[in-house]
Order: sequence, then C-alpha cells, then structure tokens
Amino acid sequence: MNTLTRPLESLGRATVHAFAGVGYAAALLGESLYFAVFGWRIGQPLRLRAVLEQMRQIGVDALAIVTLLALTIGVMLGIQFIAALSEFGAQSQVVVAVAKSVTREFGALITAILVAGRSGSALAARIGSMSVSQEVDALATMGIEPVRYLAAPALIAMLVMLPVLTILADAVAILGAALYSSPALNVTPAAYISQTLSLLSAGDVWQGIAKSAVFAVLITLIGVSTGFSVAGGAEGVGRATTRAVVLSICWIIVVDMIFSFFLNR
Amino acid sequence: MNAVENTCVTEDLGGYALVRVGGEVDLSWSQKVRDAILAALRGGDVGVELSRVAYIDSSGIAALVEGFQTARGKGRRFALIAASKPVLAVLQLARLDKVFVLFADVEAARAG
Amino acid sequence: MTSASAPLIDVTKLEAWYGRRRILNGVDFAVNAGEIRVIMGGSGSGKSTLLRHLLGLHKPRSGTVRLLGVDIARASERELLAVRRQIGVSFQGGALLTSLSVGDNVALPLREHTNLDEATIRIMSRLKLEVVNLGGFQDLMPAQLSGGMVKRAALARAIAMDPKLLFFDEPSAGLDPVVSAELDELILRLRDALRMTIVVVTHELESAFKIADSITVLDQGDILMTGTVDAVRHCDNERIQDLLNRRPREIQVDADAYLKRLTEEAA
Repeated sequence: MNTLTRPLESLGRATVHAFAGVGYAAALLGESLYFAVFGWRIGQPLRLRAVLEQMRQIGVDALAIVTLLALTIGVMLGIQFIAALSEFGAQSQVVVAVAKSVTREFGALITAILVAGRSGSALAARIGSMSVSQEVDALATMGIEPVRYLAAPALIAMLVMLPVLTILADAVAILGAALYSSPALNVTPAAYISQTLSLLSAGDVWQGIAKSAVFAVLITLIGVSTGFSVAGGAEGVGRATTRAVVLSICWIIVVDMIFSFFLNR
Repeated sequence: MNAVENTCVTEDLGGYALVRVGGEVDLSWSQKVRDAILAALRGGDVGVELSRVAYIDSSGIAALVEGFQTARGKGRRFALIAASKPVLAVLQLARLDKVFVLFADVEAARAG
Repeated sequence: MTSASAPLIDVTKLEAWYGRRRILNGVDFAVNAGEIRVIMGGSGSGKSTLLRHLLGLHKPRSGTVRLLGVDIARASERELLAVRRQIGVSFQGGALLTSLSVGDNVALPLREHTNLDEATIRIMSRLKLEVVNLGGFQDLMPAQLSGGMVKRAALARAIAMDPKLLFFDEPSAGLDPVVSAELDELILRLRDALRMTIVVVTHELESAFKIADSITVLDQGDILMTGTVDAVRHCDNERIQDLLNRRPREIQVDADAYLKRLTEEAA
C-alpha cells in the first residue's frame, strides 16, 4: 500500500503547499494594498521615505545593468532577424519585427528577469534574515505591522519602477537593433528609429507595460512571502533566496506566455 | 485613581516665571508642558514646580531637558523646584539629578 | 480601561500545539500591576511558547490571553495597536533592526506611534540609551555592538514608549556575570522609577531569585507552581527541586509508547 500511496501522498501534500503558498501571497497582496491606501487611518501609514528608498534600490541602482542588457538584446535581435528574414528576401521587415517583439515581449521579460534576480532575491534575503533574527517579531510587538513596514513599500516601489525600467529597456533595445542593423539595411540609424516609431502603435507599448506591472506584483509577492516563511537559520535564508529567484522567473515566463496568448489572438 | 488633576500653569512672579506642573505627565499631554516651559523661557528665568507630579514619563523629562538646554543657550536660570519622589526616581534612573539644578522651594530657587 | 485591581496579564486555560505535539496543557497565568514576575523552566518546558502567546505572536489553539484587559486573539486592529503601544519587548537576541543605527532603533516606536517633536524624540531616545548605560552610542550600527551592548540597546528600545508592561526574554543568556548582574539591577530600577510591570523569562536561577517578586515554574507544558522566591526555594515538589539543584531529570519510560516511537513510520 505504501509504495502505491506515497507518491500520491507527496503529490497531494505538494499541491496543498502550492495552494497555501498562492493563498498566502494573495493575502499579502491584499494587506499591502490595504495598508498603502488605508494604513494612515489605523495608525499604520505607508512611509514615503521607505517607498523612495525601495525605488532607489529596485530602479535607480538597476539602471546601468538594464541598459547594458537591453542594448545587447537589441543587437542580438537585429542579428537574428536579419539572418532569418534575408533568407526570404524580407530584410525590410526587420524593423517591424524588432519593434514589435521588443515592446510586446522582450523589454518587459528581460527587465523582469533581471529585477527578479536583483531585487526579488534581495527582498527574500532581507526579510528572511529579519525573520530568523526575530526582527519581524520585534516589529510586530512594537505595533508596526511587518507587512506594512516591509512588504507594502517594496510593492509600491516595484509597481512604479518595473514599468519605468521596461520603457527604458524598450528604447535602448531598439536603439541597439538600430545601431547594428541600419548598415545592413542601408539606412541611417535615425531613419531606422523614425521608421520604428511610425510602425509602433500605443497598444504594443502598453502590452509590455501591462505585463511589467503584473511581473512587479509577482516578483514582490514571491520575494516577500518566501522571506516571511523562512525557517532554519542562515541556511534557510540562502534556500529562500534561491527559491525566490527560481519561482519568480518561472512564474514570469508562464504568465508572460498566458498574457501573450490572450493579447495576440 | 488620579488624586491630582493634570495641570500646567505659568505664574509670573515679577521677572521670574514659575511653571507649576501637577498630575501624571505622560505622552498624551507632555507636549503642553514642553510648550509652556519654552514659552516661559522667552520672558526670563524659569522655575518648574513639580511637587504635585505623581508620575512623569520620559517625554515629560524630555520637556524639562529641552527647557534646561534652551535656558543655558540664552544664559537664563532654569531650576526644578520641589521635585516629588516619582520625579526624582526617574531623574535618578537617567542620572539627570546630577545635571539639573534642584531646589526645595520657590524662594531658594529665586535666590539661586 | 481596567480597574486598578485587575491583573495586567490574565491567561486562562491556554493550550498550544506545535504540529501534533502539545506544548502547553491548559495554562492559567496572571500578573498584577507593579509586579516583577519570572517565568522559569528548563528548555522544552514551554516557556518560550508561553511568551510568544503573551506577545500575541501566536494565536492560542484554545483558551484566552488578556493583556491590559484586552483579549488579544479577538481584539480589533485598533485595540491591538493600543495594547502594543503600551508593551515593550526585549528579545533574546536583541532583534535590533540591522539597517538602522542604535539611536534610530530606539527612536523607531516613537517615530511610528507619536507625533512628538523631533527634538523631543531625540532627547527621549538618547535618554533611554543613558538609562541602559549606552550614552553616546546612538550613531553606531547594531553590528558594531557587543552581545551585552545589543541586549541593553534592545532594552532601551523596549522602554522607548514608557510601556506599562515590559517583557524580557532571557536577559542574562550569553552574558558575563557582571553585565548580567547590571541588567538585573536595571530591571529593578525600571520597575521602581517608571512603575513598570515586568515579565522576565529565564532559566538563570540566580538572576531569577534576585529580581523576582514571584516566580512561575513551568515544566513540560504545565505550571508546577507560582509563588514568592521563598516559596519556590522551599517547595518540596521534586521537579522544582531538580531544577533548583540542577539535577538531571528522571525520565520515565513507558514501554509501549517507547517501542511505538522507535518502530512506527509516522510517529
């Protein structure tokens, strides 16, 4: 009986855990938004300073790496599209292919993955080590709601900064593609970019921004909830950090796929 | 339970302001004591009479400290008068009894 | 809010479970205003679990915990916040926020809960550091402090709001005897000067006997007794005498249960 039921049992347990995890994350989202909007009424105000500090860590500190990566992705897309489309003699379609794939897909995706690696893990590590050293308990007993003090500022900052970084990544990636492919297409980079602008619709850009807002929620919730549920000392913090990054990236990619499916039907 | 009502009144004794504080000085109204002391210091020397203080918390002590520091900055005299036992206990806890100028009564404080 | 005679802490029939293990077996516990109560017990006695319930960090499985007259498991956010503003907690490891300086740690509750003038907050928080003999250390970061200093800074933060009720978890754990004696002295002075009611959780007998007005002895989830220092010292309960004389306890073997623990898959 054991050999038969054990895999079932562990599958069942894993499912329960997964649902519990999703439920916990949803509760965190609700509470964070509640404190952000109504916190000041019950003596638990969201501090602007904390939000700004998080915005600096999540956004400003990531500017250089996002720019660098977006530029690389742009060049890469230029290379691939020129190679692929020239086989059909459709080189002129490179501009539109790059423009749409960057704004709808790659800008948001690359930025989110990067921020998940930088800030999702940092959130999990910070909150995790605070849980281990009883700092979270201390906040609670001081009457400072840990969710309000630790999670809400991160969520708001992420919701602002991830779309901003995504717009930056869009622009830089297209610039990268322009720099690489304009010689091959016999146009100036300026002409390439003005052609891009005429081909892009607002909907393309909005699609990427909407996704990035969803990714922002995912990254924060996964980082914060793994952080709060850390048990087992320093090793637990390390595990939680890894888990936060892997989970965030998996969710980002899956959700991205689902979004793309429904938005491009 | 409150034998003495929370009071804070300033009397002008001809160039010497006497702030009489009584009751339980805590977070809920210690800012009033602070404001009264700082206002009195605009006039001249100040004495704070504390004989009817049944309890004082650290926000109340902070008001006294700020008053003392302000008085020193202006070259004024600032004294605590007839500090009650609860006040003395808190002052001693922070070793402030060795910092403040303490007098037993108003006459002694004015004579300085 | 409460009449003067009502106990500040009133716990009735508190049960706590950790998974399938029962940690507290229906504990009754009350502390009166102005008292220094020591909760004593070996490791695994349930004293930390009791403390976590008193702090509202765990919800009781059954039974009630009343702090300052409020049932904390059923209180609204607002009531709970009002209670928490009147209690201070000094955790075993200090639990200072590592991202804030010592001074900011002590000032944190004041900044979060009061509209006091920043000058007043500065004086109050530095005053508290003076009280715990850390005057002038406000700009250091927690990582730069020694173990004893962390404990004292944590105490300064716990009393930042002049709480009515102060909890102190293992004040002397990991400290040298002189520093822990100083802390004991400080606890006594805090009660006398600031009229605090203090609950100390410890396994250090010497410190317990020095500071306690009354002692609650906890063992394997049961309260063995609550009484004055003398009553506990002269109690003829065997387990208490074991604790006092540091005798290893006699472990009773139940053959059936023992075999079950050894052999069953899901024990």
